[in-house]
Amino acid sequence: MTLESEFSPDSDRIMSVSLGPQHPGAGHFRVRLWLDGDYVVRSEPDAGYVHRGEEKMGEYRNYIQNVPHLERPVILDSSNILFPYATGVDELMNSKVPARGQYLRVIMSEINRIISHMYFIAIQGYFQGHTTMIAWGMGDRDLWIDLAERIAGARVTFAYIIPGGVRNDIPEFAIEKGLKTCDWFDKRMDEYEKIYFENPMVHQRSDHIGVLSREDAIAYGATGTVARASGLKVDVRKDEPYSAYPDLEFETPVMTQGDAWARTYVALLDMREAVKIIRQALKKLPSGPVRLKLGPQPRVPAGEVYSRTEAARGEMSYHIISDGSPRPYRLKIGVPSAKNLRVLPHLLRDVHVADIPVIYWGLNYWPVESDR
Amino acid sequence: MVVAQQQKTGAFQVLVGKIDDVLQYAIGDPMRYLANWGRLYSLWPVHLETACCSVEVGAAAGARFDMERFGTLEAFGSLRACDLIIVMGTVTRKLAPRLKLVYDQMAEPKWVIAMGACSITGGLYFDSYNVLRGIDDIIPVDVYVPGCPPRAEAFLQGLVLLQEKIRKAPSLSGR
Repeated sequence: MTLESEFSPDSDRIMSVSLGPQHPGAGHFRVRLWLDGDYVVRSEPDAGYVHRGEEKMGEYRNYIQNVPHLERPVILDSSNILFPYATGVDELMNSKVPARGQYLRVIMSEINRIISHMYFIAIQGYFQGHTTMIAWGMGDRDLWIDLAERIAGARVTFAYIIPGGVRNDIPEFAIEKGLKTCDWFDKRMDEYEKIYFENPMVHQRSDHIGVLSREDAIAYGATGTVARASGLKVDVRKDEPYSAYPDLEFETPVMTQGDAWARTYVALLDMREAVKIIRQALKKLPSGPVRLKLGPQPRVPAGEVYSRTEAARGEMSYHIISDGSPRPYRLKIGVPSAKNLRVLPHLLRDVHVADIPVIYWGLNYWPVESDR
Repeated sequence: MVVAQQQKTGAFQVLVGKIDDVLQYAIGDPMRYLANWGRLYSLWPVHLETACCSVEVGAAAGARFDMERFGTLEAFGSLRACDLIIVMGTVTRKLAPRLKLVYDQMAEPKWVIAMGACSITGGLYFDSYNVLRGIDDIIPVDVYVPGCPPRAEAFLQGLVLLQEKIRKAPSLSGR
């Protein structure tokens, strides 16, 4: 650490500042910064403000009772955090989920990916001073929430993907509404490109800011949009196909700049693929039951499983250990935000103070998910 | 003579009391009404997100629900100029001292909305080792908005309830 030897944090030149937890640009999170004038010399993230002990709570609830509280950490993306849990428990129980259930899982997961990315792009626009993007983004996000509400019955916490399949079947009118929403959103995304992604002001605020090279992305173990923006092609849907993804055609968008703009733009490309997947899945939707019959307190055979899926922010994984009782012996959640948080101190170095929110939010970091 | 003086001051006090009443009706009540009317349409919240209900506050600030038509912005910089804390969900042991600190640093008058089941009773996390069972032990709450998370409409209803409370506040200080 040459920086530390050059600038001691105790010297008079360096000012130590705390950003958060009460700060419009920080959320439920704090970064300690050492500033030299307008430049950040060093930074130290301080997470844990929302640590709620999800993993310990998982040990004294049974496999079905675990569903509602496990989706709370990442409420924007609530189906995607349940997806690996459900696939893991299915694998432990050796149960084969019906085809329609698999397709509905994929549809809900992709709808949630769009909901999560819309929130991300909207807030990123807000931090860059682009007020149109937050107004449009938050408004359009609500139409996807409407669609998810028609399918699952709740606004953000769906508890839709459960062990053994999905909770209920998709109503007929929701299929039509889903196809209509896809068509409308395709046109809408072209407008985002015009008004936001091609905007010179946005380029000035985010080009060459917080650049993460491909080597560093590998070294820090970045996943999801952060890794893909740095030219690292990682996508669990392609690398280790699960559920109905092998039947569906889509691509993994990759960019090479690795700056804040690329990280935002990858989210848009992700949404384009998600719309493609939803349209295909809605058209191909097989008939049959949507879930297996499970008792209220299913007994899971003793064993150990590691399951992973691609959430909106990156790779979401569960390590479940069962000792044959109705409750898991150990439930470890590996979340993408915690993986991407390690990149933050690397990026927040020799940057202007004004660029901090753009870099911080560009990592698509959600503290509640990271703290669990 | 002492008695006469007492009578005199008594009469004076009665007179002053009458004037006080008259002044209260003529100036005090309109002043109180005006001050509280001014406060209730410009409730500016501190941006202290405590947990996941912040997503629904974000949705309420969006184009569909548009929190700003009630005079409330989503994020505002300085807490010295704020008069509302929306406690968005779970308060953990690490965040609790910070929440109290933020509340103490705000200028009077200030109000608190407890949003979500977690900030009311601990909600889904009632048996977690790191979560407070409601924020009443730390700061006084004006409006409770139940739900996990509450819908954006429910949050806006809580905001309107708080405005009603401020409109009917009995004193000039807004409490």
